[in-house]
Amino acid sequence: MIAEKIHWALVAGRRLKIQGAGSWSNAGRPVASDETLSLADHRGIVEYVAGDLTLTARSGTRLSDIASATGAEGQWLPLDPWGGDDGSIGATISTATAGPYAHAIGLPRDIVIGVEFVSGAGDTIRAGGRVVKNVAGFDLTRLVTGSWGSLGVITEVTVRLRGRPELSRTLAILVPPTRVGLNDLAVRLRSLPFLPLGSEMLNDQLASHLKLGAQPVLLVRLAGNERSVNAQVDAMRDLGDWADVSNELWDALRTADHASTGSWRWSQLPSQFGDTWTAADGAARALETFFLHGNPARGVVRVVAHPSEADASRVVRAATAFKGTVAVERLAADAWPLVSPITPDPLSRAIRDKFDPSRILNSGIMGAE
Amino acid sequence: MLSLPDRLRVIVGPRRVLARNSELLAYGSDALPGYHKTPQIAVFPGTRDETIAVVRELAASNVPFVPRGAGTGLSGGALADGIVLLGLNRLRRIISVDTVNQYAVVEPGVVNTSLTRAVEPHGLHYAPDPSSQAACTIGGNVAENAGGPHCLKYGVTMNHVVALTVALPSGDVVTLGNATGEQQGYDLVGAFVGSEGCFGVALDVTVKLVRNPQAVRTMLADFTSIDSAARAVSSIVARGILPAALEMMDSATIRAVEASIYAAGYPVDAAAVLLIELDGFEAGLDDDVATVTALCTRAGARSVRVASDPQERARLWQGRKKAFGAMGRVAPHLVVQDAVVPRTKLPAIMAQIAEIASRHRVNVCNVFHAGDGNLHPNIPYNADDGDEASRVHLAMQEIMDACIAAGGSITGEHGVGLDKLRYMDKMFTPPTLRAMCDLRDVFDPTRRANPGKTVPVHSCREWHMASSARAQNLAATETR
Repeated sequence: MIAEKIHWALVAGRRLKIQGAGSWSNAGRPVASDETLSLADHRGIVEYVAGDLTLTARSGTRLSDIASATGAEGQWLPLDPWGGDDGSIGATISTATAGPYAHAIGLPRDIVIGVEFVSGAGDTIRAGGRVVKNVAGFDLTRLVTGSWGSLGVITEVTVRLRGRPELSRTLAILVPPTRVGLNDLAVRLRSLPFLPLGSEMLNDQLASHLKLGAQPVLLVRLAGNERSVNAQVDAMRDLGDWADVSNELWDALRTADHASTGSWRWSQLPSQFGDTWTAADGAARALETFFLHGNPARGVVRVVAHPSEADASRVVRAATAFKGTVAVERLAADAWPLVSPITPDPLSRAIRDKFDPSRILNSGIMGAE
Repeated sequence: MLSLPDRLRVIVGPRRVLARNSELLAYGSDALPGYHKTPQIAVFPGTRDETIAVVRELAASNVPFVPRGAGTGLSGGALADGIVLLGLNRLRRIISVDTVNQYAVVEPGVVNTSLTRAVEPHGLHYAPDPSSQAACTIGGNVAENAGGPHCLKYGVTMNHVVALTVALPSGDVVTLGNATGEQQGYDLVGAFVGSEGCFGVALDVTVKLVRNPQAVRTMLADFTSIDSAARAVSSIVARGILPAALEMMDSATIRAVEASIYAAGYPVDAAAVLLIELDGFEAGLDDDVATVTALCTRAGARSVRVASDPQERARLWQGRKKAFGAMGRVAPHLVVQDAVVPRTKLPAIMAQIAEIASRHRVNVCNVFHAGDGNLHPNIPYNADDGDEASRVHLAMQEIMDACIAAGGSITGEHGVGLDKLRYMDKMFTPPTLRAMCDLRDVFDPTRRANPGKTVPVHSCREWHMASSARAQNLAATETR
């Protein structure tokens, strides 16, 4: 069905915009297209053997459907991307969208173990497999993960799962967001004798949106057995005044940016987290209402424009001065021309030539064609 | 015009180029017995610049080559059949270590454990730990996407490499990835790791370093049947506890180890033992030990013992890590495979392997990474006995077929190399193999880097021929 659509596009010379569930329709660079190929109805879990801790699903399957199926077995697909669980597994892998647990558990590239995709040349390719360890042949799975549909349309994904931790607790810790203080915080978090499942610094607006008061806070999630979690809590005590808060806050945090008009990911090394935060915060102040959050241990800060911000493009100009990297996740189509154009390196261009020689898939999404 | 060996001597110095057969014999095999291919020339650059110059010279001369680390691979992947062998084991500089952000930049010839030793004073280590880690190189690990017992919890090489500088076979030098691990564009690092020397030569590798666990508990669980040990594995994995390592050894392996100088005190009357390691935060670790003990006991373990001190722990691990060596006492040759099956299929596949072994009258020693379903059915045998050798190869083929039929993979960590080429068609469709060839052609359009390995050339060629024939037929049809 999907293969047929791509064959048709090849024959008819039509360019396709590839869409998952359509939950983040403003994600990625604008695409030159004649038609939209939606995978929203290409859904359903194909195979789930709980004892294997792996799951295979059609690409349009909503993360929420996977969460219910795995939750019933005490398991969990630890992708938890920003934006919540309305999105599809295919889009999450295709855009390599991570979430608050990525530092502890891994990025999408670490969690996906197999994909089936139809290339822009019309070939159906089954890469990887259903086992958690596999080095047979060249790694087309990693190649397609994060390729934004520009090499092929993912039709099926196999992922590794985790058992749900016996217990988890979330703390909200008052941490003043000074540049030096946050640099120091990142170093401290990385030198703990355990990995917090999540640690996310929130700006005052986001803290207030989550009803955590009007000051910036560090949200930390600690997981394990009871004795371990209690000791982890003890180890966090001297970071600042803290309170136990609901674990539900993490889902609220992930969906806080649901209808955002623009979001950016700023990154440098973790030890520069304070610098990254300060720079991102400075740029975001071009807006009235924005959320800022970041994982100090990973060194990544996200700027999320509030849906009320009609023109998020002001952040774009401020971002150009940053020394680290800024990845634009979402932006209104008319603001994209302000973002500096990307010219893919020769290897990436050659890969695209092999997998989508006619440029029928998401044309322009990886930069200049 | 100088000869190729002489041109290479000009680059690396006369003592670093071997071209006499007697000198080259040592490079005729890797750690997998059964394959011997002698290179025509072996060249050993000592610096990054020399390496680039060698690669460029080979490109200018249009000569194929095989990159090689320490030659400890188990796939025949580092063998050069009458072509140039490019040894990278002299590039052993640790270029930089960032202990705060926990990464290191190393040259490809750095030995796996040397890196861990170098960062040990900072409480860090490099996590992937193949059994050959005292000799194998990071460059070789990158080429093979090497694993090891502890990758159940910590991940394989691919999960630990964030950036690479690569000399492409053309001699162009490119940088892939970055130290922050934030992906920009295609995941070319992911594509390069595990490319078995077919995509070029890594000049430096940026790897993550992992904080040493605060506490470690190493346990040995003893079972009277393989089936109950396999069920214990499934129940531990399903429970959500993630051991650092979860290894199984069967009675044939236990007896081989205990009869060797690597004797670890394993119970020789056991049908199987599980070596289980839990590590991490001290608080609560013993509760996980108690949970795992209960799961093993419920699955039928006779006893579960926890190593009481670091010496006992080291001894338990030595038996496991030296099991291949111990098999050397059983017979002069050894076939080693590393197929993977879904973890719930372990009990069934173990029974199938036993049935295949008995039918072909061969002695299979199973010692493997049970926690991720990564089997290592090894068959010690005498290759000079033609009848035995053919039974061994038949049995191995059937074991591979059984693993593929169980939804598994033909290799979990050793790579395809030469040894598993013949199984690639069974695992992947022609379009998938062609896509792999296409990816290789991007990095190496002239197909000079490690030619004839990893992806069967015939399948690509046949596919290309079939598709071009089809295209011609179609064109003919349309003209009609």
